[in-house]
Amino acid sequence: MPARPIARRHLLTGAAAVLAAPAIIGRAAAATQLTIGDNGGPVGASFREAFYDPFEKATGIKIVNVTQAVDPVAMIKVAVDTKAYTVDVHLLTPTHCYALTHPTNYLQDLDLKPADVPGIQPQFLRSNYMGTDVWATVFAYRTDKFGGKGPQNWAEFWDVKKFPGRRALYKSPSVNLEIALMADGVPWDKVYPMDVDRAFKSLDRIKPSIDVWWTSGAQSTQLLQSGEVDLLTIWSARAQTAIDAGAPAKIVWHGSVASLDGWGVPKGAPNVEVARQFIRFCSDPARQAAYTTVMRNGPTNLAAYDSIPVERANLLPTSPANRGSMLLYDDDWWGPNFSPVKQRFDAWLLEG
Amino acid sequence: MSGAAALDPVVARPGRMPLWLRPRAAWLAVPGLLFLALFFILPVIQLFGVSVRDPQTLEFSFAGYRRALGATVYLRVLQNTFVIAAQTTALCILFGYPLAYWLAGLTARVRSRLILLVMLPFWTSALVKAFAWLVLLARYGVVARVLGAISPTGQAPDLLHGRGAVLMGMTHTLLPLAVLTMLPVMLRIDRGLISAAGTLGAARLQGFWRVFFHLSMPGVAAAALLCFIASLGFFITPALLGGRRDAMIGQVIIEQIQAVLDWQFGGALAAMLVGSALLTCLVYDRVFGLSVVAGDGGERAAGDWLRRIGLAVLAGCGNGFTWISEAAARVLRGHRFGWVLPCYAVLLIGFLMIPTLLILPMAFTSSRFLEFPPPGFGLHWMEVYFGSPLWMSATLRSFAVAAATAPLAALIAGAAALAVARSGPRWGRLVFAVFLGPIIVPTIVTAVAQFYLFARLSLVATTLGLVIGHTVIALPICFVAMVAVLKGHDWRLDQAAATLGASRLRVLRHVTVPLIKGGCLAALLFAFITSFEELTVALFISGGLKTTLPKQMWDDVLMAVNPTLAAASVIVLAVVFALFLIAERLRPPSTQAGRL
Repeated sequence: MPARPIARRHLLTGAAAVLAAPAIIGRAAAATQLTIGDNGGPVGASFREAFYDPFEKATGIKIVNVTQAVDPVAMIKVAVDTKAYTVDVHLLTPTHCYALTHPTNYLQDLDLKPADVPGIQPQFLRSNYMGTDVWATVFAYRTDKFGGKGPQNWAEFWDVKKFPGRRALYKSPSVNLEIALMADGVPWDKVYPMDVDRAFKSLDRIKPSIDVWWTSGAQSTQLLQSGEVDLLTIWSARAQTAIDAGAPAKIVWHGSVASLDGWGVPKGAPNVEVARQFIRFCSDPARQAAYTTVMRNGPTNLAAYDSIPVERANLLPTSPANRGSMLLYDDDWWGPNFSPVKQRFDAWLLEG
Repeated sequence: MSGAAALDPVVARPGRMPLWLRPRAAWLAVPGLLFLALFFILPVIQLFGVSVRDPQTLEFSFAGYRRALGATVYLRVLQNTFVIAAQTTALCILFGYPLAYWLAGLTARVRSRLILLVMLPFWTSALVKAFAWLVLLARYGVVARVLGAISPTGQAPDLLHGRGAVLMGMTHTLLPLAVLTMLPVMLRIDRGLISAAGTLGAARLQGFWRVFFHLSMPGVAAAALLCFIASLGFFITPALLGGRRDAMIGQVIIEQIQAVLDWQFGGALAAMLVGSALLTCLVYDRVFGLSVVAGDGGERAAGDWLRRIGLAVLAGCGNGFTWISEAAARVLRGHRFGWVLPCYAVLLIGFLMIPTLLILPMAFTSSRFLEFPPPGFGLHWMEVYFGSPLWMSATLRSFAVAAATAPLAALIAGAAALAVARSGPRWGRLVFAVFLGPIIVPTIVTAVAQFYLFARLSLVATTLGLVIGHTVIALPICFVAMVAVLKGHDWRLDQAAATLGASRLRVLRHVTVPLIKGGCLAALLFAFITSFEELTVALFISGGLKTTLPKQMWDDVLMAVNPTLAAASVIVLAVVFALFLIAERLRPPSTQAGRL
């Protein structure tokens, strides 16, 4: 190679060699084993119960799941750049997919067509990626503070006179811009492309009333559960955890901002056919319904609701009761805009 | 310190050094210098290199710095960082000084017991402490309920999510460091001098302010430097306890490296952080002399005009305080407040122990959340911890990494300390500067830099990588402890044995080693503890695959905050406390209660 490779790629090359060692050893049994990178912890356990174990039973192919770093993007780039594949299938969000396909493509085209995965909603499917569950940012309020008559939409969340109380928001521009626009009167289906200036003007109004800017999902559960704040934005499954534990709280689904968990494969990975088989398996409505018993995320195959009891369905983002005004977080908009908007958001936080 | 007096003439007149040591002692520092050059200095320089290169074309580019200096937001964050660090330092000195003074007046036995308690928060994970404060100071927490009950409005103020909470959390973490840096200097002050001042007609207060306070100033200055530099790199405490205006530069560096993957910009911010830390040290060295940090006390040659200004400022402080306290004494008409100091000290130690004590009930709770007071007793979370392969493998890995780090660090630091003790001051200064480097450069920068280098060396996500990274972090503390041990050693005993015909080996085996064994083991245990509870390096080097216990706790906080976190920290705490207890037992009394 005449020119020196890019510094970061150089760096990643080294990291891959480490990751490669177990792969080389494990490769002998490639056909009978699939390695999946997920987020570990409760997420990994739920996937094992709903998808991995049934897949093993159905196909005889063993699934080994490893915990990928909080950001799997670097891990996949290393693997592709060095051709040292350790993980066959990764749990990814569309945000990861955007980072993995711009400017260079690092994702394997799986040639996934709607006919391959019948029932999966088209907006949750791409040729190189299939969403298996939907998680949504909603807001929740304490019923011991507002009774049953809490705020019902983002405009009312913004209305501190009518609904006084301590509030918390996520400390990132993501989702906050969307809800700020909806609070300012933009209909939920007209949010994108976003008017950033208008969003910040709207955020200016709520800023003095935000007591906590949370940074991790667990922190948001803690805020709601302990009553540290009276209303906050929160991932719906996180809010449900607090409610299941007895916290007097209610979730408001109007104008929820949804995103996906799903499966993608590193470009050029050796086990593509088995990976494809696994991904198709995950579109099965019965499996997706089973997943909702352990994790309160919504299925991407709406046929799953046929077998989900209505009281559980009411807790899920994609159920008929809740998906009426659900907005899908647009990674194509955010991809090029995130960095400058984040810088503006950070500066905005320090002001005033 | 009996040894110091004996050692000085030896160093001053190398001709008296035993022959067998003369040509070689200095060489003993070389392995350590090489190790640090390779795994600490090189990666940091490399990171700075990345910060001035365009990531695509690799051409020289100041874009990272232009962005950092161009957008006011990062300057604001940098300014924030300095203001918070300065405020924390001031609080640490203000609250720590009386405690150190009180400890200095106790018997060695009682003092070493109490120091154990003072050190507790220093060895408790920042993450766990932050969550303990979150629970304790919550809106409906214990403190708020008490405050609400006694306040006339029935409303408690918001205790969290602001500058006050950040300063409290950071001061709480760094106060032990301040106390333990001031203490050895205070212990060296000859209290006879105060009596002497008294016989010459000085009032009690005058004796304190003009003599003791004045002589303790080098310790105060050293403590201030260490606290300030340590504060610069904080990122967990301000993120969890602070409000939106309390962002510090460490958080931004982590975001840029981990989430945005912008090495050039992250490197530029890191370079600015290190630059400011070095500048602080440089100014400090000009004014007070860096050797004070290493516990050399106040004996320094009166240097240039800057240093004289420093001394004049200290003297001015003393005089000012004397005047104030004399005025106060006149108003109070000689009422003695002897009970105030012990009460204050006990309260402060109690405050230091709060988060640690809170963890116990939160670990043995029947609740699904971190709650205080817990609704009931339960062993569920301990079962979860011991039953989880994830937690168990992380725990075992932490033990393995620490067990490898400790002897490695002790060996390297021990050899270097021997070199410092047995060779000229010029060489010693260099060795000191390099070995204290990992304290001066904020850990977050070291961790990021090592990640960059280790990725090329295939050391990311390996146990070896973790061991090397932790050894770099553990070396300063280990080195300072070893230097203290060797300083306390009376080399005339070796010489005496040699004149009586003992061979080098015999001297080493029967005189030197038995005398310094305890201190060396203590240094080894300190290295073990440092590695066992280290988070920042593990955050980057473990690569998600080789998770250590503190890293697992960090992941757990991101995924789910439940009492497993408290259960795990009880284990960490028990291990650290036990080892610390053993270490303190092993140290010779002359160095006990001394440095970290």
